[in-house]
Amino acid sequence: MFEESEGFKIIKNYLAEQEQEPFQFQLKTWKTYSKGYSGMVIAPTGFGKTFSVFLAVVIEYLNHPEAYQKGLKLLWISPLRSLAKDLAKAMEAAVNAIGLDWEVQVRNGDTPQNVRRKQERLMPDVLLTTPETMHLLFSQKRNSRWFTSLQCVAVDEWHELLGNKRGVLTELVISRLLTIAPKLKVWGITATIGNLEEAQDVLIPYSHLKTTMVKAKERKKLKIESLLPDTVDVLPWSGHLGASMSSKIIPIIKTNTTTLIFTNTRGQSELWYQIILEAAPELAGLLAIHHGSIDLKLRHWIEDSISSGQLKAVICTSSLDLGVDFKPVDCIIQIGSAKGVARFMQRAGRSGHSPYETSKIYFVPTHSLELIEVAALKEAVKQNKTESRSPMVLCYDVMVQFLVTLATGEGFIKEKAFNILKQTHAFSYLNQDEFNWAIQFITQGGETLKAYEEFHKVILDEDGLYKVKNRRISMLHRMNIGAIVSDAMLRVKFRSGGYIGVIEEYFISKLKPKSSFILAGRVLEMMHIKDMTVYVKRSKSKKAITPSWLGGRLPLTSHLSHFLRIKLAEALSPGIRERELKFLHPLIANQNDKSHIPKSNEFLIELITTKDGYHLFMYPFEGRLVHEVIAALMAYRLGKITPLSFTIAMNDYGFELLSDQPIPLDATNVDALLSKTNLMEDISASINASEMASRTFRDIAVIAGLVVQSRPGSRQNNKSLQSSSSLIFRVLEDYEPNNLLLRQAYTEVFNQQLEEVRLQAAFERISKSKIVIKQAKAFTPLSFPIKVDSLRNAMSNESLEARIARIKQQTQNVD
Amino acid sequence: MQICETTVICKTEPLILTNLRAVYWPAQKMLILSDVHIGKTAHFRKSGIPISLEVLDKDLQRLGYLIDRFKPETLMVVGDLFHAEFNADVTRFKTWIKHYTSLQILLVKGNHDRSLLRLYEHLNIKIIKEELELSPFVFTHDKTQIEAQDTNFYISGHTHPGVFLKGMAKQRIKLPCYQINKQQLILPAFSLFTGLNTNNPPKSCINYAFTDTEIFKL
Repeated sequence: MFEESEGFKIIKNYLAEQEQEPFQFQLKTWKTYSKGYSGMVIAPTGFGKTFSVFLAVVIEYLNHPEAYQKGLKLLWISPLRSLAKDLAKAMEAAVNAIGLDWEVQVRNGDTPQNVRRKQERLMPDVLLTTPETMHLLFSQKRNSRWFTSLQCVAVDEWHELLGNKRGVLTELVISRLLTIAPKLKVWGITATIGNLEEAQDVLIPYSHLKTTMVKAKERKKLKIESLLPDTVDVLPWSGHLGASMSSKIIPIIKTNTTTLIFTNTRGQSELWYQIILEAAPELAGLLAIHHGSIDLKLRHWIEDSISSGQLKAVICTSSLDLGVDFKPVDCIIQIGSAKGVARFMQRAGRSGHSPYETSKIYFVPTHSLELIEVAALKEAVKQNKTESRSPMVLCYDVMVQFLVTLATGEGFIKEKAFNILKQTHAFSYLNQDEFNWAIQFITQGGETLKAYEEFHKVILDEDGLYKVKNRRISMLHRMNIGAIVSDAMLRVKFRSGGYIGVIEEYFISKLKPKSSFILAGRVLEMMHIKDMTVYVKRSKSKKAITPSWLGGRLPLTSHLSHFLRIKLAEALSPGIRERELKFLHPLIANQNDKSHIPKSNEFLIELITTKDGYHLFMYPFEGRLVHEVIAALMAYRLGKITPLSFTIAMNDYGFELLSDQPIPLDATNVDALLSKTNLMEDISASINASEMASRTFRDIAVIAGLVVQSRPGSRQNNKSLQSSSSLIFRVLEDYEPNNLLLRQAYTEVFNQQLEEVRLQAAFERISKSKIVIKQAKAFTPLSFPIKVDSLRNAMSNESLEARIARIKQQTQNVD
Repeated sequence: MQICETTVICKTEPLILTNLRAVYWPAQKMLILSDVHIGKTAHFRKSGIPISLEVLDKDLQRLGYLIDRFKPETLMVVGDLFHAEFNADVTRFKTWIKHYTSLQILLVKGNHDRSLLRLYEHLNIKIIKEELELSPFVFTHDKTQIEAQDTNFYISGHTHPGVFLKGMAKQRIKLPCYQINKQQLILPAFSLFTGLNTNNPPKSCINYAFTDTEIFKL
């Protein structure tokens, strides 16, 4: 009987001393683990999901200490470094209280050299780490010996890894560990997502492991309230509402103990920090700012200050989405759309941490239309619908990186490496040809006929092992391990000493010396740049630029967009309880007056002519990424009618095609333009014609080691290897069009931005809708936010010469 | 290959700008170019990044075409003829350049040409450390700051200049270019394996942008 085992009794007593009792799901995890199961635990934050798996391993050890060797027993993989530190503390406290002689240690990029060397001599019993650090360990000589005694690998916050390439890295870690540690059990821990079964299959696709899924019944109570501005703007544009909303935010900060204020981008968090301090200077010293570009030490200090209750409010980004409980936090404010149901709920859950408290979250719109999103969010939360996270498959870039990692470490035998890949979910469809291509790519650099004599990245040894022998290549590769691709970053440092954070090279290259910018809530004057470091001093300047970090934008999930369509259709006659929709009524009426409000069975198209050119707006409400693809498709099909050049802008509601020539769309041809016939062929063609693949190639090039990332603050900047992914993209298109990494860029546009099914469904819906074409004289409330979006793509099916000729004609400043 | 030319007057001297990334100075029978970065692709290959051999072939083909077209006596490279260490690309260049025995080659050292003297052995290249004055011009590699009272006219490279051609409907086309003002001419990078830099152009400069089929002022 498990309940009578020594180990269980010890843990039960330990919890009783803390005046706690195990939750049902914890008990179930412990029991099944003791029977040798692997599995997945699903529980909301704050209910002790960490202890479900951790204590399972402890109990099993206490019951059978004789079965264990020295060394690593539990490997704990979590997506965030900052999580590891606090988790380790909690585990250590438990281990000490129980009286176990286990070592609990963290290993990641912040771990000091001497600690690492010590770990390499003797691994601790529990090691908390990240997927990237695991791959780094795999790239070391004789690394297998560290893992032979391993009993359990736990993947924490699996939902954060699933759906991106870090998830694929994690899958590979597990697959390789299973070949080293025969007794290994695999456990995932996740928050609620739409595809739990699939999430488990991706993590544990191994038929020889017994698996189970443990769901907590406990649920967090959630209270959502939106803060309405005093008046509703008829033309709502991004950021416009900012300052006027601060008077609503400040009383909330003051009445709560500690408030976390979430913004969507680092740039926005900097802006709001300034706005709030300006409106309430008495908060100085009690208000902090936290995002991914702020120096690590500073961030740790802020996190500690939240825990100890020294701060009234912290403005943050997704940097604080995850993490251990901050006890004093009792209130959350979300500024701007959270873009997804799951993220919104996760953020809400950061307040009111004790299991039975209610989480409070306030929503602050940055433009009026976002209020429709709140209405949609509330509906989704009410119906308990959260998004799915689709796993990534056949990432050749990750395969190439992984093979070089193995070659850098112990070296690999071809067949064994193929099996490690093939066993994972991500590479279950990998075929021998693709694998051979990768081997060719890392040993000879390209196709058979194009072997380069000076290319010796990976070498086949006489004993059949593929190995990296060149030290410089090992070093370059270790620096490049991982799947998080960021823009080139520079560290920012006071001339007098002290780091502030990092900033994109792209942003700083546009600044002249002596100009001012804002980082970590401080106004800084740029002095000079040396060794990938920007030296600055404090500035008194009133005019400072807030950096806009690229790539900080999240697309709306398909889920939320579905609810959004419904709410918009209802908006003309809102229900009594729909506070947000009622408030928005003037704006909705204006849209209806100037153009139209699409009912749920209608599809709206607006044609507007201004001095900028000819605008075409469509509103599929499918989220930014899908719109990008549909926009390219429309540009492609319109271009078949007559050669045209477009710039394309989109948001989560719709997209704009802007041309200098009249757009040939009317009631007679609109059905053909939106037709399902040849849909996938036309989309392929339009992706080929657009810049989308070149952009997805950016990450692929870095992950596959084609572009060397420079590390902020590093003296080793590898300047002579500097190139851009777009340059490499061009070279490959010209000289090696069959390169699999290049092909991956095109397929990723497909798989990442639109699942074929979802797109077919969207066109199915559109084809059944009544198409409403409106000519408007000026921008409408729906079109305006898209029009002001500054990030634009371009697409053209005219020749470069023809485009240049016409621009010359139009502008006349060209000879 | 299609060559397009346009003549500009700098300090009363006519110079022919071409869309093949080099300038011809008729008075001195001199072909001027910058940032050839020979050895860059081999340097990448040695570091485990496979870049095709054909990239260098394309650059050399274009250089050969220009030499045939203008029949210069002197080839002036204003820096970064080589990218990094002595490697297979450099050997190929050495073999290739032997066809042009009568051509005098001058190199103003660039940041990439630092100290690897071995690169230039048997190449018959005359090396200039900082700048070379050949009235009415001063040839140098990197000239971004020029004092207002400086009366010299500098011909340089280094920045890999590019420019946006902006049209109606928010169209933007990025093109390589020459940049000219009263005090200087900045050349585009000769190598195609380089990026384009559109930041911080010289004060009140005129851009001569080009494509495969034309060269024009904007």
